[in-house]
Amino acid sequence: MGNKKFYLPMAIAGSVLAILFPYILPKFQLRMVTEIIIMALFAMTWKMMLNEGGLFSFGHALYFGLGAYASVLGWLHIKGLSFMSGILLGGLVAGLLGLILGAFLVRLSGTYFALLTLAFNQLIWAIVWKWRDVTGGDDGLGKFPKPDLLGLSMKDPANFYYVSLMIIGIGLFICWYFTQTPLGNVCASIKSNEERAKFIGFNVNASKLILLTVAGFFSGISGALYAQFQEFIATSTIDLGMSTNVLFMAFIGGIGYFWGPLIGSGIFVYLSEYLSSFTARWEFFFGLVFIIIVLFAPQGILGIVKKKK
Amino acid sequence: METFVIQFLHGLAYGMLLFLVSSGLTLVFGMMSVLNIAHASFYMLGAYFSYQMLKMVGNFWVGLIVCPIIVGFLGILMERFLLRRVHAGGHVQEFVITFGLLFVINESVKWIWGTEPLPVPIPSALSGSVMIVGSVYPAYRLFILFFSLGVLALMAYILLKTRLGITVRAAVSDRDMVSALGTNTPFVFMLVMGIGTWLAGLAGVIAGPFISTYPGMALEILVDCFVVTVTGGLGSLLGAIVASFLIGQLSSFGILFIPRFAIVFAFLLMAVVLIIKPTGLFGEKA
Repeated sequence: MGNKKFYLPMAIAGSVLAILFPYILPKFQLRMVTEIIIMALFAMTWKMMLNEGGLFSFGHALYFGLGAYASVLGWLHIKGLSFMSGILLGGLVAGLLGLILGAFLVRLSGTYFALLTLAFNQLIWAIVWKWRDVTGGDDGLGKFPKPDLLGLSMKDPANFYYVSLMIIGIGLFICWYFTQTPLGNVCASIKSNEERAKFIGFNVNASKLILLTVAGFFSGISGALYAQFQEFIATSTIDLGMSTNVLFMAFIGGIGYFWGPLIGSGIFVYLSEYLSSFTARWEFFFGLVFIIIVLFAPQGILGIVKKKK
Repeated sequence: METFVIQFLHGLAYGMLLFLVSSGLTLVFGMMSVLNIAHASFYMLGAYFSYQMLKMVGNFWVGLIVCPIIVGFLGILMERFLLRRVHAGGHVQEFVITFGLLFVINESVKWIWGTEPLPVPIPSALSGSVMIVGSVYPAYRLFILFFSLGVLALMAYILLKTRLGITVRAAVSDRDMVSALGTNTPFVFMLVMGIGTWLAGLAGVIAGPFISTYPGMALEILVDCFVVTVTGGLGSLLGAIVASFLIGQLSSFGILFIPRFAIVFAFLLMAVVLIIKPTGLFGEKA
């Protein structure tokens, strides 16, 4: 994707800035940046499914929330589960779910795909909500251990930020790398014309299944990180609202661009924080902003920036 | 035995209400392939408008006629100024713009009418109850039942017997061909959107006294409505009837026998139907 002269300085400046954040930002701002990068990975997996496979997920919170719950239950019930293992556990459970549900999902596309993801999301959400003995239901789960990582206390916001940054960085890199692989190309061909991809001889369903599993895995990772970030989880991590948020983020940033989810989650987190500080009806303005973006900048914020150049 | 009959009738009343809402949704989808998330918001608007009308005019029946028309008009505006503009961008864009609208309408409602549930009294003519197999049954629910059946008959008549209905059915099966044959499809779309939201508004007005008027009512019915349209088959009116009936009974008897997991079964039904027959029970288009 184009202009290397422009990208290299940007990338260096971005990384330097990202490393310096804990030193230059006040505490609550650092918290927001941490939330932004965690949500960015989640939004990236959503965008990846739509952009690489043409699959519109309407129940993406399923993987995110399940990752969060699985890791928290792990930290609560498995003695001595380390920080990284907990995060990985969240990712693996969500990935496994992606694989299992994917077996049913791959046969569908378009609106029907979206609706089946919604059905699964609601199904699991209802179970999590009602199964109070394990999940805490409406009360959620808190007070789970936050183990140190290599002697670094994760309770320190700066440490937690760096670790998140690293995990998210690796996640984003793998997501990017995926698009460069032959498998990524097959997924892209499915998106543009599923019939033809099938006709050429690609195993369309298997490719979709792998895409769903990968997306589920990384959603789970970001969900697990989010759980440690909030130090508390409730059904809001797995409900329809969360599935909507991720859609907003991806669209605001720009579906067609690699950095779209990051920009989108940045705008989303900042805007919701900012708007909610002076009106209780912030979602109204959010909806308005969203409509305006879809109407006038269907390629998102990055779409506007790129067009001007 | 009595409990069963009463529970069955409760389920039937809720099922008919669901049918009124989902029929609009499924009609619009069949025609334009747009899943209108904001549909539930129009339903809620119907309920709130009716509350306002009751406050200003003091007559439920005036509201029953006027409010759905206002809601339908809003639906037409939405088609004309939002959906049509992004139509070229594909279904994803159309889908997400209705999402934004859902937020805007839901929050506006909270802004204007507050977040507390609003009391909408049952119109005096229907406030009594009827004796059915030896037990008391509220007359208003019977009214919902018969009123919805009336609307169903009207819709069936329009779809099967009128020129508009023929055009709509033709456009559902092949939109481009109908357009090529000289029908002004954008206009028909607008009309169908109007009728669809009118139905939602109508359901909202009669839902007011039935399940009370509150800001969460949109999201609540939205989910049930999805279950109905998807299970019945997107775009299929017959499917909407059958699925509404099923979901109505499922929620009514589910609460009686398995209150804790009643909510799970509706989604399970939807997931199972989609897995076995992705187009729903009566859907044709894949």
